[in-house]
Amino acid sequence: MTADAILSSQPAGPAGGPGHDAPPKKRRLRLPIVLLMIAGGLVALSLVRVLTGADDLTSSGATRAALQAAVPIGLAGLGGLWSERAGVVNIGLEGMMIFGTWFGAWGAYNWGPWVGLVAALLGGALGGLLHAVATVTFGVDHIVSGVAITILASGTCRYLSQLAFEGTEGGGVNQSPTVPELPRISVPGVDGLETLEKRGWFLISDLAGVLRGLFTEVSVLTVIAVLLVPLTFYILWRTPFGLRLRSVGEHPEAAETLGVNVYRYKYYGVVVSGALAGLGGAFLSMVAASIYREGQVNGRGYIGLAAMIFGNWRPGGLATGSLLFGYIDAVQLRRGAESVHALLLLIAALLVLVGAWQLYRRKYIVGGLAVAFGVLSAVTYFATDRVPVPFVQFAPHVTTLVVLALAAQRLRPPAADGVPYRRGS
Amino acid sequence: MGKEVILRQARGMQLLAVASAAVLLLGVSACGGGDDDSGTGDGKTKVKVGLAFDIGGRGDKSFNDAAAAGLDKAKQELDVEVKDLAANATESENDKYERLKLLCTSGYNPVIAVGFVYAGADPATGPVAKAAKECPDTKFAIIDSVVPGSNVASLVFAEEQGSFLVGAAAALKTTSGTVGFVGGCDTPLIKKFEAGFKAGAAAAKAGTKVLAQYISTPADKCSGFNDPAKGQTVAEGMYDQGADIVYQAAGGSGSGVFKAAKAKGKLAIGVDSDQYNTADAAVKDVIITSMLKRVDVAVYDFVKSVSNNTFAAGTLTFDLKKEGVGYSTSGGKVDDIKPKLDEYKQQIIDGKVTVPTAPTS
Repeated sequence: MTADAILSSQPAGPAGGPGHDAPPKKRRLRLPIVLLMIAGGLVALSLVRVLTGADDLTSSGATRAALQAAVPIGLAGLGGLWSERAGVVNIGLEGMMIFGTWFGAWGAYNWGPWVGLVAALLGGALGGLLHAVATVTFGVDHIVSGVAITILASGTCRYLSQLAFEGTEGGGVNQSPTVPELPRISVPGVDGLETLEKRGWFLISDLAGVLRGLFTEVSVLTVIAVLLVPLTFYILWRTPFGLRLRSVGEHPEAAETLGVNVYRYKYYGVVVSGALAGLGGAFLSMVAASIYREGQVNGRGYIGLAAMIFGNWRPGGLATGSLLFGYIDAVQLRRGAESVHALLLLIAALLVLVGAWQLYRRKYIVGGLAVAFGVLSAVTYFATDRVPVPFVQFAPHVTTLVVLALAAQRLRPPAADGVPYRRGS
Repeated sequence: MGKEVILRQARGMQLLAVASAAVLLLGVSACGGGDDDSGTGDGKTKVKVGLAFDIGGRGDKSFNDAAAAGLDKAKQELDVEVKDLAANATESENDKYERLKLLCTSGYNPVIAVGFVYAGADPATGPVAKAAKECPDTKFAIIDSVVPGSNVASLVFAEEQGSFLVGAAAALKTTSGTVGFVGGCDTPLIKKFEAGFKAGAAAAKAGTKVLAQYISTPADKCSGFNDPAKGQTVAEGMYDQGADIVYQAAGGSGSGVFKAAKAKGKLAIGVDSDQYNTADAAVKDVIITSMLKRVDVAVYDFVKSVSNNTFAAGTLTFDLKKEGVGYSTSGGKVDDIKPKLDEYKQQIIDGKVTVPTAPTS
């Protein structure tokens, strides 16, 4: 890509629309279409629930658990977005989340939850700063630095726990004492839908369940996390600052010739990335668990990265990806054997539909494979009563693989993502 | 690339080298925190006990702390020297072997390995077996696993018997007729807890429904022992299905189970130690009892047997009879059914009731 290309596909100024970095002939997802898809998904789930009797699929409890599981993944994904849009691959998100869990718990334990939140932001940002220093200033390979930061984070937090938590009540080298929670809020009136949810009516009860799950007993950090998605979109796609940051990830040489300080913008991206991952960590230790426990991040940083790729390096997409992963994880943990078994039916129907569409478009290999797997899934559903436990536990990972395999052709990472940039070379 | 850039990179490397050296130093000083009471020098040859902890080490408020308590008691009462070393979360089997080897070659005898991880993937060739072969004069003990060898004592627990008692307690206390079991990892060891719990519930009140769910599998390194958020999600799912008491054998994820119980106004059962005393004050009132696994008793008894020269190789099971397992009564929530539970306990000790070690369905 040349400087001309970057200019033609990314007009200077705040006018760079959301569809401009996708190939031009693709249809853009507008709000009505998105809403239609959500409604369609709910109808499909509702149908599956009525047909299979797997009541947990759309219950308020499952929805709440899904949201709770999605937030840390989504925050890590947003972190990845900020960094990779500035051209720095951030596989150290996991480590920055670990910093977030520890600093969040430490701040909250000593000075209350709001200080914990700020401490987690700063702790994560510190991890991000380290990554920026290594990759941007010293040109270290992005993957090497990221892996190193993750290892460093778990070691450092263990050491810090020894200093800060040992001897406290309930605390030790590998866990903190219980920390105070952030406030939870409910939209008034929504909880009254409980009677409706209990009825088991098609669609109405499902809607009631989902609404109750989304709008009652929600942590303020969840609200903040949800708001960060449109905010990220606004900053990165609607402000000059965002345009510069993205241009650094697409074509740093061109950006440099236009007077953008590439190093500085990469620093901005990676430090914000760390702060967001730290916030995701704080959610784990302060909202999802109210305790710091060694190893509690448990790969969510990597799943966040997968959600970002799933979302094609865009905020809306990564939010969808995190919700999908969170949902699968939540239902498999709550009533795994039954719910995942019911989902097989949905997967079968979806795969057959996608396959039929692909066959209609004369893509015989993809279409044939999709139909074959759809039929296989349906056969499994009817031939078994419950899904074996190991498969249930791999359901989130399998979903990731399937979705990435199907979506891989449409993905477009920032052009200079992961490429070290040396000024003047 | 210009000369200046190269120079700059060289300077960068230097900085990195200094920084990483500093990090290494920090790490080393952090690892060197074990007890070391060598050189008391009163002329008598003391028994020198070396103990290798599982991941978490001293201060984990659970399994390792129980082992540490047994070791500390032995140190006080039996006049022995002790040395303990901690394990890292990411280390390999070879690191575990090196740790045991280090202890036995520096003259520690006996050497105690805490946790089934020291048995390795194949107990016949794992870290303990290998170290025991290379230090034939040192007496080894491993907790929670069976390792062959003429100088190895395998200290295992009858977790199913203790779980039977808390299962009976759950069945007697439930008002909904449904109780739950949350396991940290889908392994044979944790299955023993589930099997005992189910058997106890069925024995105390026929028709009690027991929900069971595991948070993780060995394939994801048993991460379910350290994920309180997932522990909470699983327990909430069970409470939503009508369970009113949930028994957790999920290590560090257990705090999530207690949190869920508190939020839903339901009850829970703890594991390993008396969690009514160790859990956070805000959630302790949901814990009706805990299944006790006396790792401290096993460690102390083993050290004692060595210092008395009564060491015996082979498998030693700590069951209800030996008071290696049991249930706790702190908080007074099971006082009313204590006679009934003690009756079951006696029946198990007398052999009238045999508790299965693998869940039936």
